[in-house]
Amino acid sequence: MKKMILGLCMMSVLAIGIGGCATQKDLEAVQAREKAIAAKADQAAQDAEDARMAADEAIEKANVAIERAEEAEQRAIERERIAAEKERMAEEKAKEADEMFKKSMKK
Amino acid sequence: MFIQKTGQLVIYGLARINDCGDMIRKRILERLLLSNRFHLTIVLMAILFATGCADMRGYLAKSLPLPGYPEDAIQRNDFVVAKDEDVIGRLAMIRLERGDTLPDIARHFSLGINNISAANPGVDIWVPGAWERILLPLNFILPDTRHNGIVINLATMRLFYYQKNGNRLAVSTYPVGVGTEERPTPMGEMVITRKKHRPTWYVPASIAADHRKKGDPLPPEVPPGPLNPLGEYALYLSEPSYLIHGTNKPASIGLRATNGCIRLYPEDIERLFEKAPVKTPVLIVNQPYLVGRRDGIVYLEAHTPFQESGTANWKKAYAKLKHIEKQSGSLLDWKKVKEVVIEARGIPVPVSADRDGVGMAAAQPIRLRHPGQLFGQPEIPAFNTDAWYVLAASLRDKTDAQRLAAIINHQGPPIPAGVLSEGDRHRVLAGPFDNRRAAKDAAKRLKIDLELDAVLFET
Repeated sequence: MKKMILGLCMMSVLAIGIGGCATQKDLEAVQAREKAIAAKADQAAQDAEDARMAADEAIEKANVAIERAEEAEQRAIERERIAAEKERMAEEKAKEADEMFKKSMKK
Repeated sequence: MFIQKTGQLVIYGLARINDCGDMIRKRILERLLLSNRFHLTIVLMAILFATGCADMRGYLAKSLPLPGYPEDAIQRNDFVVAKDEDVIGRLAMIRLERGDTLPDIARHFSLGINNISAANPGVDIWVPGAWERILLPLNFILPDTRHNGIVINLATMRLFYYQKNGNRLAVSTYPVGVGTEERPTPMGEMVITRKKHRPTWYVPASIAADHRKKGDPLPPEVPPGPLNPLGEYALYLSEPSYLIHGTNKPASIGLRATNGCIRLYPEDIERLFEKAPVKTPVLIVNQPYLVGRRDGIVYLEAHTPFQESGTANWKKAYAKLKHIEKQSGSLLDWKKVKEVVIEARGIPVPVSADRDGVGMAAAQPIRLRHPGQLFGQPEIPAFNTDAWYVLAASLRDKTDAQRLAAIINHQGPPIPAGVLSEGDRHRVLAGPFDNRRAAKDAAKRLKIDLELDAVLFET
């Protein structure tokens, strides 16, 4: 009976040992997988960070471009205003000259 | 350049059309030998096509400005009035040369400054672009009045003198200067009571007072000569104190610048003086909107009305247009009518709804060759080192300086003036004058007439 119990125990220990060995391997595999996933996650995070930085840079560039465009537009508006003002002044001068001439044509 | 190119294209097009016509005619002859229906149909279609080509050629010839040599001369003053027609003359076009001003062009072609500036809106009167094309409104609608004696239309600033020669009605027309808003020319019927060569100007009290106020007192009478504003000839009217006369300020023709008298260019008053005898009836009217007919086409000529007379005059012209439309049964293009009235360019414009055909071709401007020297154009003397000058102004803008110099040149009597440019300074100098006194007189006139503070100097 004792022998039988001992045999059973040994078998159980053996089974547990065998099972334990398998769990260690699994654990290692899991750990390796986890490492790989963590590395991928890090890579993804890095990529995301890079992308965000690139996006920020692009936004910044776009903002600069918009700013420049706005400045150019402002300059164009200003030039247009100056040209219009010049034209108005030229017209006014021509009108004044015309009035002066008409007045001088009276007896 | 564009017109030249268009012209070349048109010639090429016409040649192709001609070739095309010839080819088709050849084929027609060949086909005529065949007798079946199919070929007969082709022959008929070819005939129709050939006729179409010929029509197209005619249409193009009428509607497009074909290249060709510009005319050397155009009738400006004397016309025959065709029976039942009241449009005379031709619209013309000329290319400016460097140094031309619109008043110079106007005088050469016997137009007023009002006519030429209204016909060419946006063109600088004194400093137009070199080589710019200018329309010369040398076609006129006769005022809606009797056709005898003298008729003066204040709104268009134009005088018409009708003469009957047997069955023929002739009209001589000249641009005029008329009274200001404050001192308008009287309207109505009057007659020429007397004529005077080299008249003396007896200065009216009102004008004497105006000149005293300006610091330029006038003598009670101004003898004949360059300072006499009546010029060389005067026709005295039955309306007391009103005259038709010449001028010593030719650039004022086409302006409301007189004290009620009628001014003509010196060369025009001379002709009128010779033609019109004492007792010639004179009718003065104000018709800014004129309706006329020529070659079956209805024309409308619109001028900017004097402020006080616009609406009533338009109502009359509108009624006349409506009457013509009803009477003739042919429709008018009312959109065009509106456009003509708004633009008020003083040019007779066809307003018949059907504006194709020979009549329309006559409404196209003819090209005139520049005469080289314009009649009455002030000569600008070269600067010399042994003379007196008057510095009229020193300006930063060259165009302003050129404009001022041109205005000074067109004073009456003329004051020679030019622009001396140095860097961005453009000096307007009046002169040269032989002596200090002449320069001083010019400086005084610049002060009184143009309000310029001029400075004398000797070179």
